[in-house]
Amino acid sequence: MPNEPSKLRHTQKQESTSEQTQGEQLKTDAKEFSSVEELLRHDAAQIAVPPAVAVKLNKSLADVPKPEIKSWWQRFVSRERL
Amino acid sequence: MDAETTTSPLRWEFPEFGAFYQEHSKAIYYLALRLLRDPTAAEDATHDVFLKAFQKMNSFRNESNIRTWLYRIAINHCHNLTSTWHNRHIQSSDDAALLEGVSAQPNPLRILETKELGERIQKTLDALPQEYRLLLLLVADEKLSYEEIGALTGQTSDAVRGKLHRARKTFQIHFKTSE
Repeated sequence: MPNEPSKLRHTQKQESTSEQTQGEQLKTDAKEFSSVEELLRHDAAQIAVPPAVAVKLNKSLADVPKPEIKSWWQRFVSRERL
Repeated sequence: MDAETTTSPLRWEFPEFGAFYQEHSKAIYYLALRLLRDPTAAEDATHDVFLKAFQKMNSFRNESNIRTWLYRIAINHCHNLTSTWHNRHIQSSDDAALLEGVSAQPNPLRILETKELGERIQKTLDALPQEYRLLLLLVADEKLSYEEIGALTGQTSDAVRGKLHRARKTFQIHFKTSE
């Protein structure tokens, strides 16, 4: 995917509790992203699916009528892994 | 690899479907999160999308990518949710609940950074037209081509390219002014 020339910058302000600072001090931690896509991918990478979703889904699967599992799942999974 | 992949002891009712979920759930959850703006709603949507996929797999046509097919279910589902009166009127939730799912070490500074950037990205996406928001979220998935994004959004790949150019510019303007 093409990237945009201008960069997206996010500056994070953090409170430092270092003894050397003799109190509160702000320091900055800047991140630069070369494109919107890169920024969104970074955002997505920080987020995990809560495990509760898989647990709930697995329980739901046990309750729904079973389709022709073997035929279509084996076909699908083998095609996906090619 | 997702944290859940390595830590979950879950024994799937259908192991093949479990593998399918592990491969695609992060992308679907992220899309739902940024479209619905609510971690709890995104959890429910992810569950519902995969359950629908399970029930409708027989209708899957081999001519399309399975991920594209899954995205189509997710987009329709999120669109239905955001079209309801309830979702038009509820407040966007704080990102605090989202942080429970952060796939990083529980470092307070890192959590703060993730929360701050995530809120800024959400605010920027919210300021965009719905079509731009969706296009940017889809193009951020490296597994989707322009053709597939076009198929998902009902337009040609050239139209996708043109709109993405404007969507990126609009995003950049809002993002820079949101700091």
